[in-house]
Amino acid sequence: MNGAHDMGGMHGFGPIAPEPDEPVFHAAWERRVFALTVATGFGGEWNIDMGRFARESTDPAIYLRSTYYEKWLHGLQHLLIERGHVSEAEIEQRMAQLAAREEGGKA
Amino acid sequence: MRVLQRENVQEVLRVGDSARVASDAPARFKPGDAVRTRNFHPPGHTRLPRYARAKRGVVAISHGVFVFPDTHAATGDKKPQHLYSVQFTMRELWGEGASDIDTVHIDLFDDYLEPA
Repeated sequence: MNGAHDMGGMHGFGPIAPEPDEPVFHAAWERRVFALTVATGFGGEWNIDMGRFARESTDPAIYLRSTYYEKWLHGLQHLLIERGHVSEAEIEQRMAQLAAREEGGKA
Repeated sequence: MRVLQRENVQEVLRVGDSARVASDAPARFKPGDAVRTRNFHPPGHTRLPRYARAKRGVVAISHGVFVFPDTHAATGDKKPQHLYSVQFTMRELWGEGASDIDTVHIDLFDDYLEPA
């Protein structure tokens, strides 16, 4: 598909700034997204190319402002919702729960 | 449904999964052959980048037979076929003002290529 991922030749993104000694994961949630993607993919319900296509299918505006593992998460959510494992409402509900818990923790 | 067990995680991550397919199917092209990429805009997954469609290049390396990502993403059909490293000049890809000495190599499948 002619999506936002197919960026070859696009201008305006600025220089690439490689991080010296870049860590494998920048935050604990990235490690978790990687684990979720491997564990659910192992189920065999989709293959690696279906996984890539799911990432490419992310809304272009969201895709362009997402970091690497955010793109993985968008793709995984897409597959899980598309195949009826979770609903968008369930994800929203769980996010609200976790946000409330975090708020409570701060108080 | 397969379930990834804790004791298998290290092995699965270490070995990974190769898209290479054992096959003695003949290759349509060989290193040195002039090729032209197809011009198509499929709504599904493809590994032929937009900037390399309808461009002339030369086969540099024949990699062997691999799963074809386009059909594999759409339906799970592996449609195994030859994969090549194809060399393009920057002039061919980017036109006026681009170098005709500098080149880009792109790994491309049989289904993307026509003889040129």
